Amino acid sequence: MASTLPLWILVITALALTAWRSRRYAAALANAPAAARFNRPMLRLQGVMVAIGMHRKMLRKPLSGVLHAIIFISFFVLFTATIDAFGSRLFPGFSLAPVGGETWIAALQDVFSVLMLTGVGLALYQRYVLRPARFDGSSGSDAAIIYVLIVLIVASLLLEAAARIAGGTDGSWRPVASVLAGLLDRAGMSAHAGEELFYWVHVGAILAFLVYIPGSKHRHMFLAAPNIYFRNLEPRGLVPAVPEAREVPGIDSLGQFDWKQQLDLLSCTECGRCQAVCPAYAAGLPLSPKLLITDMRDALAAGPSAAPLVGGVISEETLWACTTCRACMEVCPVEIEHLPKIIDMRRHLVDEGLVSPGLQEALSNLTRLGNSMGKPSKMRSRWTKELGFPVKDAREQPVDVLWFVGDYASYDPRVQEITRRVAELLTAAGVDFGILFDAERNSGNDVRRAGEEGLFETLAQSNIDEINACRFNRIMTTDPHSLNALKNDYRHFGAAFEVLHYTALLAELITAGKLDLHVADGARVTYHDPCYLGRYNGGFDAPRALIRAAGYTLHDMPRCRENSFCCGAGGGRIWQGDDGVTERPSENRIREALSLGDVAYFVVACPKDKVMYTAAIDALGVAETLKVVDIAELLVPRTSRAIEMPTVET
Amino acid sequence: MNILVVLRMIPDSAGELQLAEDGRSIDREWLDFQLNDFDDHALEEAILLKEAGGAKVTAVAVGEGANRVLQMAAARGADEVVALQCEEDAMISSREIAASIAAMARAKSADLVLCGVQSSEDVFGQLAPYVGALLDWPHVSGANRIVANGAVLRVTQERGAGVAVTYELAAPAVLGVQTASKAPRYVSGSKLREASKTPIGRATPEPSGLERAADIITLRLPVQGGSGENLGGNAETVADRLVSILAAKGMARN
Repeated sequence: MASTLPLWILVITALALTAWRSRRYAAALANAPAAARFNRPMLRLQGVMVAIGMHRKMLRKPLSGVLHAIIFISFFVLFTATIDAFGSRLFPGFSLAPVGGETWIAALQDVFSVLMLTGVGLALYQRYVLRPARFDGSSGSDAAIIYVLIVLIVASLLLEAAARIAGGTDGSWRPVASVLAGLLDRAGMSAHAGEELFYWVHVGAILAFLVYIPGSKHRHMFLAAPNIYFRNLEPRGLVPAVPEAREVPGIDSLGQFDWKQQLDLLSCTECGRCQAVCPAYAAGLPLSPKLLITDMRDALAAGPSAAPLVGGVISEETLWACTTCRACMEVCPVEIEHLPKIIDMRRHLVDEGLVSPGLQEALSNLTRLGNSMGKPSKMRSRWTKELGFPVKDAREQPVDVLWFVGDYASYDPRVQEITRRVAELLTAAGVDFGILFDAERNSGNDVRRAGEEGLFETLAQSNIDEINACRFNRIMTTDPHSLNALKNDYRHFGAAFEVLHYTALLAELITAGKLDLHVADGARVTYHDPCYLGRYNGGFDAPRALIRAAGYTLHDMPRCRENSFCCGAGGGRIWQGDDGVTERPSENRIREALSLGDVAYFVVACPKDKVMYTAAIDALGVAETLKVVDIAELLVPRTSRAIEMPTVET
Repeated sequence: MNILVVLRMIPDSAGELQLAEDGRSIDREWLDFQLNDFDDHALEEAILLKEAGGAKVTAVAVGEGANRVLQMAAARGADEVVALQCEEDAMISSREIAASIAAMARAKSADLVLCGVQSSEDVFGQLAPYVGALLDWPHVSGANRIVANGAVLRVTQERGAGVAVTYELAAPAVLGVQTASKAPRYVSGSKLREASKTPIGRATPEPSGLERAADIITLRLPVQGGSGENLGGNAETVADRLVSILAAKGMARN
């Protein structure tokens, strides 16, 4: 056929252009440091199936999920048309007709062309009419060009078939194209000229798309599946260690990121789900997880430049804004890992001594005294003095449960009351427990996430040595941050402790009939899932079981469980100022609870939450309407007098 | 230029201070010790001078916990670190240690001795003048900026209300530092770990050669509490209570 040679030339040119446009990415990935992401292939494949085959995360936003599913499925069906279009003219004689190319495949192509256009229509409706805020900062022109190219490809496909039908081909398997054939006829277009015109428009648009993709978010067509396949299978609460091959703790150029971290940048679809859930972004701070990724991606695409990564491409303020709540990673449909990048860049800042005065003070206190408050170690166990009974020293005698108390629960006067309440509950349930007294140090959870790897190692090693010198069965803590460090981060040192959150231990004691509680009259309360208990460690159900066991009715906020909204304290944020914050995340969250309209108590299960939300309620002046209570305050053993909670009008 | 910086360990004021049995000193047995804040600034200024024009910085620390602070000094850029032995469980008297510092300044061929302008145990700020006198070197205290141009030093001293004077003097000299030109830098845990391998030198004290001029006869801890009242969190009751207090004190009409 006469068009074979021109088509070959076109195809080879397009492929060459595509390769040329991908050269920087390919080189970057080829030269990137290694990452161990090749283990457990079946588990990896299974994740890809769920993420792509079931559209699991995509469907959490129903309209986006459905429209993407339509476009996605239509793409595969219409790919048969692409094979046909190129195959038939590149290799004369090739045809899909023997397997049904002119019958059932033709019918599917016909129907799915309409579906594809419907999907694009829904996408246009979403992007230009609904305009979700999560698209703010995404490239509008990129999206528009993609829509135009898809419409062009599908419309030309339909019209080419229509022209063939107008020229006498049987159209009974192509009802939509048959209708269009009638219109072409009426427009007076020559059937043969029409077929050729639409054919070349069709293949031209496909090749244009191919050439366009390397510079577009549409790369995700090729990279989403590998990016999900090579996702991190380590526990969510384990920060990747500094690779031994790296000479300094941190990262200050893109090329130091391993290939998976760089692949992340190329896989971003700019969907903005991360931005929509980010507490720092909501607070008006200069951090959007989406822009963090796309800014680095654009720097990668631009090639080596004079601008430094840290303090240039990504500003210091952006890096310090993150609370490490993990909401961004939880929602990302293509499994981009924002936090390891932020932490690696923070490691660089810390190593250079570039920290804010507040963080410097906290870290210096932690270096000197093992707690962020600058209090002497000997005052760590002072809260026990007001208990009516002694607390065992786990360093001196064996215990069943070793209680790792944590800084806020030990030192903060607002939290000590709750710490004592937990001690009373454990005693009422006959639990044999002890603490480390002045030998305990901050767990290092947030120290590590603030990028202070060296100090984290010092703190962790000190705790591990002390814990290993004790005889105990399990470790319990009220602090989700300590829970996470002890359970996950301490694996870095080979420590494998069984660590429980107090809500899990108390739920277990109630189930075992060891803790008999006063039962309230079903008053409605809401519950805030702490990031490091819920999203990081899956502790969603025990707190809820405790609330029910105490006789309260739980009214969850819209953002609950995996979608919980961070209080704003994590990842070292609690040690930094509020500069630039337009709405504190904690106040945003209290407003959400107030909007439920029928809850009197805002129940928490994290010492930092008691501090953060009590302050937020005071700042909003709603102390009369909503009260922050720890779960431990709701649980009153029958052996004690029922505690009169202040009545709150709802 | 050779710079000698003096780092003194003082009782951590966040701890619970208790009087010793004689009532004339603090019971130091259960206390945590921390670096005197002004000395921290002196160290920073020394490192800044080193970065600006090159210098060899020797840090000498006195008191309990000296080793930890010397590792920190090494991590921040001190070239040599020395712990000066001192009498255990006693406060660090400038009068007592001045001779040792002067001797070390000579031994290290120092051109500049820096120390904090004062410490919680030397509110007179005597260390710099004593050392200056013993060495017969010029001395300026209350420095908040030091610029070295060869052997010529320009030392800025703040005099309150934003008034600043600048002295010019020739090294060798002894300077009492109020604040460094920049806030003391943060030194990361990984750098501290590296610096923990730095060998720490030892120095034995020189006899001060000075008679004791005055003795402490009593030491008193602050009297606690009784002066504040918590007005609560409700705006209306707070306002009511505030009005009645002001009225009771004759500061407002009810």
